[in-house]
Amino acid sequence: MNFFGTIFSYIRETYVDRLSYFPSNIKISLMIILFCAIAIVELYIYIIFRRVIKANQNKQTKYWKERIGNMLASVVVYDESENTAEIAVHFYDKLKKLPLKNSTVNQILTSEIITYHKNFTGKIPEVLALLYAKLKLDKRSKKKIDSKHWETKIEGIREANEMGISEMAEEIIKYTDDENGLLRMEAQAAYLKLSNKDPFHFLDRAQERILDWHQLVLFEIITKNKKLTIPSFSKWLRSPNDTVVMFCLKLIDHFMQFDAAEEVQRLLKHHNTRIVKKSIEIIGKLELEELEKHMFEIYFDHTDEIKLEILNSLGKISSGKYADFLSSRIHSNDSKIKRAALYAIKRDADHGEARLLEIYHHTSPENQALITHVLDNRIKQ
Amino acid sequence: MREFLATFETIFNNAIFYYAIFVMGSYLILTLLSAIEMSGYIRKNSYVNYREILVSPLAPSVSILAPAYNEEATIIENIRSLLSLHYGHYEVIIINDGSKDGTFQQMFDYYKLEKVDFVVNYQIKCNEIRGVYKSKLPSFSKLTVVDKVNGGKSDALNAGINVAAKELIMCIDVDCIVLEDAILKLAKPYLEEKYKVIATGGVVRIANSCKVEDGKLVEINMPKNLWPRFQVLEYIRAFLMGRMAWSRLNGLLIISGAMGLFDKETVIKVGGYDHSTVGEDMELVIRMRRYMYEQDRRFKVVYIPDPLCWTEAPQDLQILGRQRNRWTRGTIESLWMHKDLFFNPRYGVLGMLSYPYWLFFEWMAPIIEFLGITVFILLAFMGNINWEFSFILIAMVYFFSITLSTIAILFEEMSYQQYTKGTDLVKLLLSAFLEPIMYHPLTVYWSIKGNLDKFTGKNNWGAMTRKGFKSTEAATETKQTT
Repeated sequence: MNFFGTIFSYIRETYVDRLSYFPSNIKISLMIILFCAIAIVELYIYIIFRRVIKANQNKQTKYWKERIGNMLASVVVYDESENTAEIAVHFYDKLKKLPLKNSTVNQILTSEIITYHKNFTGKIPEVLALLYAKLKLDKRSKKKIDSKHWETKIEGIREANEMGISEMAEEIIKYTDDENGLLRMEAQAAYLKLSNKDPFHFLDRAQERILDWHQLVLFEIITKNKKLTIPSFSKWLRSPNDTVVMFCLKLIDHFMQFDAAEEVQRLLKHHNTRIVKKSIEIIGKLELEELEKHMFEIYFDHTDEIKLEILNSLGKISSGKYADFLSSRIHSNDSKIKRAALYAIKRDADHGEARLLEIYHHTSPENQALITHVLDNRIKQ
Repeated sequence: MREFLATFETIFNNAIFYYAIFVMGSYLILTLLSAIEMSGYIRKNSYVNYREILVSPLAPSVSILAPAYNEEATIIENIRSLLSLHYGHYEVIIINDGSKDGTFQQMFDYYKLEKVDFVVNYQIKCNEIRGVYKSKLPSFSKLTVVDKVNGGKSDALNAGINVAAKELIMCIDVDCIVLEDAILKLAKPYLEEKYKVIATGGVVRIANSCKVEDGKLVEINMPKNLWPRFQVLEYIRAFLMGRMAWSRLNGLLIISGAMGLFDKETVIKVGGYDHSTVGEDMELVIRMRRYMYEQDRRFKVVYIPDPLCWTEAPQDLQILGRQRNRWTRGTIESLWMHKDLFFNPRYGVLGMLSYPYWLFFEWMAPIIEFLGITVFILLAFMGNINWEFSFILIAMVYFFSITLSTIAILFEEMSYQQYTKGTDLVKLLLSAFLEPIMYHPLTVYWSIKGNLDKFTGKNNWGAMTRKGFKSTEAATETKQTT
């Protein structure tokens, strides 16, 4: 018997004839070996087949993407008519010949139309929107929104959002306060774009947190969308949801909404320190001189983090009323406070540098070095 | 005597068996957790447009800290690569840790540096900073160079933290290839977790045999040399399986020293990197975690599976041995420094799960394995061994380790599939068969040596020689800090 024959016969004997005679630990070991051997073979086959299937799928996708891309490119260059409905009918006949029952082709067509819709202006997006409806892709998007799976819902919401199907806004609003954070964010983003009546209505009903990441995404949408009518965000500063308050503060800051001053002043006494900090930052940025005294009042009751923000804001306002207070901070034991106060003094374009030089002549060598640091414009604060 | 030896052999076989079952069971649980965490991450982030963080004024600001010691061969290229990362609010701080070669002069000349009147706020202890330099050229305004007296990697990073002006600090090895969107991906968890995130880490990959141009990775290849190839498999297993699972449990003890993003405020509060250990990366994470527990604050340490950092793995066995020796000593030191965490319920997952796991499996597993082999040889020498039973036990461990490696390869295939060539996949699959018999015994040997060195007081960092990415003829740089 050859070598492999001997091995196979040993394995067969071990697992068939002798197994019951082994002690239990050896029996378990043999079972684990058998399980692992089968798992390894299956995993290898799966990995290799997966590669082959994926390569085929990529080939298919590439083919359909190219074909559909060419068809849509002809929509772009079509110049035989100016009537959008006419153009849509012309291309609908061609596009409906595609095997749209094949989910891959359907999905590629949907995403290609969306890409073209996003990247062109003028009559082309209108033609594409008509085609999208004629090909019943909008119904498919709606079906996706009604799906049980959150990933599919997101896909549907995204499609509706990109194609600007405003009729779906009412369908989407219910997800703007969903438990699933990702779905919630997508719905809020889409609602902002699709709702014609009240795009910020989701803020009224928001009970779930708007995470910092979601705020960042929504902030980008709100600040970049020129068609959006920007409301006064101060009306949400009394929201019981701290994340709504925080988000609105960021928007007040960006849109420089001076009418929010009174509400911002109230927030200086808010229980959430992040909100207090942001309010102070806004007071500085909007140079709300009338609120300086309120910031000063709370200075000594707060942590260093808040103190630093107050110093920064006093510097930004530079009314001169608190110049002596800022100068006196040079005697602080905390070098961060000292540094922030010195930078605040420097911010006063008219007298800042002169005041720093005056302090320089009457202070310790350590503080003098700090003043030199602050005066060096190559170093950023 | 013969009867005693027979009884001993039975006990020995059973002990090995139950320990192996325990280890294998824990690996299976970790694999399952990792699969859940990874699929969740990939599903969640397939909808993310990272460009939004790139341009947003609301994104957190980041200081990149890169200590450099005798890096004159590649420093200019490395800095250029760091300055071209895709992120809005970041600065690059290079800490010249008293290099003996022309590292500083190269930076000074190329980036047209000039000394600024920077007053360092020594919030964390570090060696004297001789000067802080900025470029005269506006195009390099993001760059700051810190020149300091040599003190080792931890000391250099502490100096960098003292100079850093941003909210988050990204500590990296200057000779690593950091992918352009690394900060975007590492910063995102800081914006989306309910609890305070104190650290994030990403997957480190092996860049040997990969094509690198201008400090950027342009082609991914499987290492030609066998030893780095085994390390590819080892890294995939450790990062995609181990660390992702610990991230799921919020029990991560280590963020790779090659690249990690930390909350600066927490790092400063715990006193920065510890100079007295060679395992400074692990020790810092443990200290940050225990600080958060002591402050009764809810927090997270997050790992993300994206391959963001590529590093050159040692292909010389001597250098590889030194690296593993240092890792072992680092583990022992970190565990010893925080011994009060052991099954301490006050520290939650850290005390009850992470610490005991590292103690029993990361530190003790090679020792137990070594003892097992020694006893096996002794018993064999005395003729008191049941060869068939021993062979079956060894085969069980061997087959299990191949299964585990193959699952890791499957994870890689289903997630990022970095090795697209069919030949690379075959090489990786074959490595899974060879690794347990060729590479693993060496790692056990290095680990034992690390233990011996630690307990006999040999505590040097160990020379780390790299060939460099530029070309095989490139001058080899030597990094050595003691």
